[in-house]
Amino acid sequence: MNAISDIAPPQVDLELRGIAKSFGDFVALERVDLAIERGEFVAIMGPSGCGKTTLLRIVAGLESMSSGQLLLRGQDISALPVHKRSTRLVWQNFALFPHLNVRQNIAFGLTLRRHDKAKVKAKVDEIADLVQLGQFLDRRIGQLSGGQKQRVAIARALVTEPEILLLDEPLSALDAHLRIRMQSEMKRLQQRLGISFLYVTHNQSEAFSMADRVVVMNRGRIEQYGPPEEIYTQPKTHFVAEFVGSNNIFDGKVVDVEGGLIKVQCADAVISAAAGERPPGKGSTVSLVVQADKIGSKPAGTVAENSLNAVLSGREFTGSQVIYHLETAAGVEVKMVAQEPFSQTERTAINMAMQLYWSPGDTVVLRPGIVPGVENIPGGRSYVALGA
Amino acid sequence: MASVIRPDPLAADGRWWRVAGRLYMAIGYLFLVLPIATMIVFSFQKGQFASIPGQGWTLQWYGKLFTDGTLLEALRNSLIVSPLAATGGCILGFLAAYALHRFRFRGQGAFSVLLVLPVLIPPLILGVAFLGLLSRIGLQGQLLSVILTHVVIVTAPAMAVIQLRLGQMPASLEEAAWDLGATDLQTLYKVVLPFTLPGIAGGWLLAFTFSFDEFIIAWFVSGFEQTLPVAVYAYIVGSVDPSLNAVGSIVFGLSVLSLIGVELLLFPILLSRYRSATS
Repeated sequence: MNAISDIAPPQVDLELRGIAKSFGDFVALERVDLAIERGEFVAIMGPSGCGKTTLLRIVAGLESMSSGQLLLRGQDISALPVHKRSTRLVWQNFALFPHLNVRQNIAFGLTLRRHDKAKVKAKVDEIADLVQLGQFLDRRIGQLSGGQKQRVAIARALVTEPEILLLDEPLSALDAHLRIRMQSEMKRLQQRLGISFLYVTHNQSEAFSMADRVVVMNRGRIEQYGPPEEIYTQPKTHFVAEFVGSNNIFDGKVVDVEGGLIKVQCADAVISAAAGERPPGKGSTVSLVVQADKIGSKPAGTVAENSLNAVLSGREFTGSQVIYHLETAAGVEVKMVAQEPFSQTERTAINMAMQLYWSPGDTVVLRPGIVPGVENIPGGRSYVALGA
Repeated sequence: MASVIRPDPLAADGRWWRVAGRLYMAIGYLFLVLPIATMIVFSFQKGQFASIPGQGWTLQWYGKLFTDGTLLEALRNSLIVSPLAATGGCILGFLAAYALHRFRFRGQGAFSVLLVLPVLIPPLILGVAFLGLLSRIGLQGQLLSVILTHVVIVTAPAMAVIQLRLGQMPASLEEAAWDLGATDLQTLYKVVLPFTLPGIAGGWLLAFTFSFDEFIIAWFVSGFEQTLPVAVYAYIVGSVDPSLNAVGSIVFGLSVLSLIGVELLLFPILLSRYRSATS
């Protein structure tokens, strides 16, 4: 144990080394490496079936792994059975014990071993105050609302002082309004306690609003790991660009490289993008990513660096912003987000022709690249960002 | 529209049919209840033979039961055998149900078939087989032999009820206990058993009624330690006596009590899903 703790730096709470898992022929996880620093809030995001929940259950010890190594604060816990690990999981359906009341549920982990009743009571009272459950301690589980149940589940895990808290879509059973309130509450709690959170979700806004760093997973692999801002503004792979909801992706071939710009022939127009340090060669296939909120529109006929003609096909008013759905002549769908209805005077009408423009500097270039392990996936052509 | 009130197909011109339906139902219930009611009424009647009009009320048949003693002794035997058999059946039933619920193993299908087999085999064959086996090992003609054979036949129904309850337990409940540091054994008695308890109680009552009613196998293996059904049969063979009505009334009373118990414990489980999860 001590020999291993020399290898891992002490500030890392949890380290995953080459975690792989297959169920028969199905590969759920393909060599996942991940390090979570102490006190960090990490969100794992991805579509259903991407392996994120399996990964979390492997860390908790509820699922075995086919190969790999798990280090918790430098100690190898790969072989430890679930009940000996100092990780705690919070379930989507809360998994509270229906035959126990709130106090007994929270105290469950403390009463398993020899314990001092007064100490347990003091600890339960303390944690209950922290999650604002003080007056509900004698209630039965069936008498609680969804939000209260979630607090009991979190308190029950936290009272045992885990080294890391694992959360499996803990807010998805709550209604939208409550979910947003719980998000900020959970983030506050995590910062106050300084415990690392590993949080699995399929909800982008949940991941972005709470996490210090976000892991985007797809088909059992990590596509990108970084702060939310980076995931949003600099997607590294085609999948990430697509999964982060507000990106436009244009596929094309490089026709020219000059003056720090590359010109890409896409279906509708030639689009310029900043070339970066290692520009792709002429003739290579690339994908260009432009965020929906970087796109503007101007009257047709004006000349700009990157411009694209498109026809308005739909308009979504969401309160603070308006999302415009457009379609180019070649049938490419484009999304544009405006902070306010962009023309108060000119009514936007369906089928109206618009000219879109954006700066080449806001265009992220992805070029097809081979990501380790992708070769085995049928049709697994992946894209990697340039200069990353 | 879901809120449109559907017209009752029988409302306007179907009144006659409705009356006929009610009448049919009443006759059905009468057919079920009348023999029992008659038995109870005549257990309090003076006459040796059932006749109308009655010949006055008496408790003498209950009195005779107590002075004669054979039926009472059989009732006492049954009240020893059935609870013990039900308890044994529930212990085995719970263990089997938990094994089937928790683990995936080779021969799982064969194992579950094996468990319900005693219910599928005709009791007559089982009775003969048990008698042969028990007499060979010197266990025939005792209360213990009745208890053992009844454990064999009540395990399956008890297990079925317990399985029903276990099936309502989300896998995450056990996982949560392990995750919080509970060993397998701690999880079993702190989480699984309390959750399954209503099922176990329901299964126990069901097993109790199965055993309490059971005649054929008990007739083969009980010898002189007769259980109530066996003693009643022996009594009928000998003579017709309103004491039987008294015994029947007592047994009916006990059955009603245990049925009420089953309904109170079992129906809430059958009708409700696991409610602590998402609301």
